[in-house]
Amino acid sequence: MRRRTILAAGGVVVGSVTAGLASRLPTAHRSLSAARRPGDAGEASTNAEPLLPGTDHETTLYEIDAPRDGPTAMVFGGVHGDERSGIVVARQVAEWRPDAGTLVVVPETNRVAVENGEREGVDGDLNRHFPADREPLTDLARGIWDAVERYDPDVVLDLHRSLGIRGLHREFVGQAVYHSPDARGEELAAALDDAVPWYLPFHRFAASETNLSGPLLFQKAARELGASAYLFETTEFLLDREARVELTRLAAAHVLDMHGLLDAEGER
Amino acid sequence: MNPSVEALRRIATSPATIGTYALLVVPFALGWFETQLFSPLALPGYLLFSIGTAIGNALAPRFEFWIYWAPFLVGCFGIASAVGAGYEWWCGRRSA
Repeated sequence: MRRRTILAAGGVVVGSVTAGLASRLPTAHRSLSAARRPGDAGEASTNAEPLLPGTDHETTLYEIDAPRDGPTAMVFGGVHGDERSGIVVARQVAEWRPDAGTLVVVPETNRVAVENGEREGVDGDLNRHFPADREPLTDLARGIWDAVERYDPDVVLDLHRSLGIRGLHREFVGQAVYHSPDARGEELAAALDDAVPWYLPFHRFAASETNLSGPLLFQKAARELGASAYLFETTEFLLDREARVELTRLAAAHVLDMHGLLDAEGER
Repeated sequence: MNPSVEALRRIATSPATIGTYALLVVPFALGWFETQLFSPLALPGYLLFSIGTAIGNALAPRFEFWIYWAPFLVGCFGIASAVGAGYEWWCGRRSA
């Protein structure tokens, strides 16, 4: 191979590595900082309790009460057991410290599916078990819904991940925020896009207002409790685990920030 | 050696061909390996791979996305070879 050919190839490789390293993205964000630090008003108190105790579906619900009054938000991970980024982030959210209100987190909503690393549990897809104008279809769904009704949340966030990208890959729904009509989905998608580099244009987030007649958990919470509800979907397509977790963490922090549980603008 | 085979060999090993191929594949492969290593240089490869998967997914939805690395690498070499051919033609004209 001629010397100039080797030089051309070597130059591209070195330039690519340099450009890649130079463009590593900062991950710090005001919402995340606010979520991780206790506020001035004092420490939040955390309580953990079992949902569906004594059954195969027993899972832990965390209730974190901030020192100041405010809205109640519920965050769900692991409705689909193989969507690890939502589970990882929900576990982290259970250790966050809101400035106001009550934060309720169920990191492993479908615990059997989470332990098996599968999308569905023993009774099929949990996120199709919350039909309109009827009781939830399974014991697990009823147990989850009982907790939702008990807390009567103002905000519900359900964390998911898809394999592809909505609009690019047929039947996939990644990099999207589905939201109830009164929720701030457009604002959330725009805030998340700050973390998506311009040179990954297909990975920009889309906001989509959901049809409330569907059988999904967040749809039932919006329909029957009037909650501002979100279903967040990141994608596995060209994003590694760390990036998916970071985007999911940002989504959770932004939702809590937008709805007044975090004081990201306040002085700390 | 047959002149046409020699011309193909020259195009395949042209610095323009190798450079273009490396530019299309290496920055994208870095980002695929670790998302944080995506850079603006990865954009051409990113667009080719993404559009390729969109077409492939529409035609055959059951394939996983890693399958598309094979047509991506072949397609990139096709594009790089076209650039290399243009470069060799330009060099030939200049030295004539």
